Amino acid sequence: MTATIEAPASQPIADMETDSLIGNFPEGQRLVGSQCNACGCTMIGSRVVCSSCISRDVSRVALPSTGVLYSFTRIHVGAEGIRPLGYVDLDNGVRTLADIHEGDIPLRPDMRVELDVKDDWFFAPAASDKREV
Amino acid sequence: MGDNVFVISAAMIPFGKYRTSSYVGLAVSPLIDAIRNAGIEKSDVDAVYVGHSYGGMMTGQRICKEIGLGTVPTVNVDNACSSGATAVHEAWQAISQGLIDVAVVIGVEKLTQFGGGTLPLSPEDREVKQGIIMPAVYAMRATRYLHDTEATPEDLALVSVKARKHGALNPFAQFRKEITVEEVLNARPIADPLTLPMCCPTGDGAAVVILASERARKRFESKPAIRVAASVLHSGHVAEGFRDMTKPEITYDSARDAYALAGIGPKDLDMIELHDAFSIAELIYYEALGLAEPGHAVDLLRDGKTTFGGDVVVNPSGGLLAKGHPVGASGVAQIAEAFWQLTDQAGARQIDDARWAMTHVTGGGTAGLDHGACTIHIFEAA
Repeated sequence: MTATIEAPASQPIADMETDSLIGNFPEGQRLVGSQCNACGCTMIGSRVVCSSCISRDVSRVALPSTGVLYSFTRIHVGAEGIRPLGYVDLDNGVRTLADIHEGDIPLRPDMRVELDVKDDWFFAPAASDKREV
Repeated sequence: MGDNVFVISAAMIPFGKYRTSSYVGLAVSPLIDAIRNAGIEKSDVDAVYVGHSYGGMMTGQRICKEIGLGTVPTVNVDNACSSGATAVHEAWQAISQGLIDVAVVIGVEKLTQFGGGTLPLSPEDREVKQGIIMPAVYAMRATRYLHDTEATPEDLALVSVKARKHGALNPFAQFRKEITVEEVLNARPIADPLTLPMCCPTGDGAAVVILASERARKRFESKPAIRVAASVLHSGHVAEGFRDMTKPEITYDSARDAYALAGIGPKDLDMIELHDAFSIAELIYYEALGLAEPGHAVDLLRDGKTTFGGDVVVNPSGGLLAKGHPVGASGVAQIAEAFWQLTDQAGARQIDDARWAMTHVTGGGTAGLDHGACTIHIFEAA
């Protein structure tokens, strides 16, 4: 009998187990990100494959709680009433979609925003201009 | 370069709400009309390509069996709003490579099955779970564009005014009444700064085109035809961080490739049917398609350069804003409009001496991508 090579079985990824974007970290509640240990690419959410270099060596990391509002809208349709939603470019460059809470300052693109967690998580105009990376 | 490919026939139903018609009911009439108009027999058809997004299993086969069109390969294509144009691209590939001579392409969608509201998106998508809807994507594009340029909400309204004006001339359009800037701005808000008339209506539709090789076209010589000068399909590329939503790279890249294939530039075009799902899209795509420098699309719009009598008529059919946007059908309907315009069959909305036409349709809201797909075609009067 000759030696044979057995093809390894590929395994599915259990990506439906962890789909929450908010998590507990030593620095507090933060958005969940993933960082590739091979190329350094940082991504939003719990990921197991790097979308840049396809390495599977990916670690769960806390994302910065501050960033810049790239753009926003207020959605008027749907069951939830008027819902402000925007894209936030976090201080490490990762972009996330987020609910935006409006305070006294009118929302505008490029304004600094920061994460807040109450019943749910959202971003609101930042109290200070400080950056967190 | 492969063999020359021609569109030799087009047919469609007026887009609208047909609650008592199924996918089969929507598509069978234009399918028969397109075959008859081409002057071909069922037996001349070598393959069928069907674009749809929500039709379910074997949509194409369900339609074709009603007229006894079978045996040949039937391919169902889902690429969201780009489904129909992707089906045309597949047919073009097969013919240009000399694999087949005649292909029927059906684009069909029945959005009234959802009872109204925004398009259902994939519940697996991260941003869909967070509550993204297509109007919000375009609304954020609009917010940023208004922030970065001299454009105003009145310009967004003016796009809808132009679309309705064109649609009023088109018996295939869902909206056939003109509208004013004030009416658009005062209408119900959908996602700021977009109001209802700045959003394409949902509805049902079906359109059919028939593509043929040069050899086959000569066989059915008596019929009008247009040449496919370029057919380009791109998919989106992920960005984990910053993306400039006012410069959609998938359309810039597809346009670059389409112009190179056709050997023409934007100034040569007589008409464009572009993906104006929301009014901001038209402005952004003027720039992506090379009609205007970034930030200067409004100059073309305000000066009337993109309506009848202008440099290039954009969306002579009324576009998605007036004609409607049954997603899988839209890309094929755009090509039907190009066919009618370039063969002098467009009636009241006919563009004088039209020789070159472009159709452009993007598809899909997917986290991390500008769009999932983009298909651009360029046609030349034959």
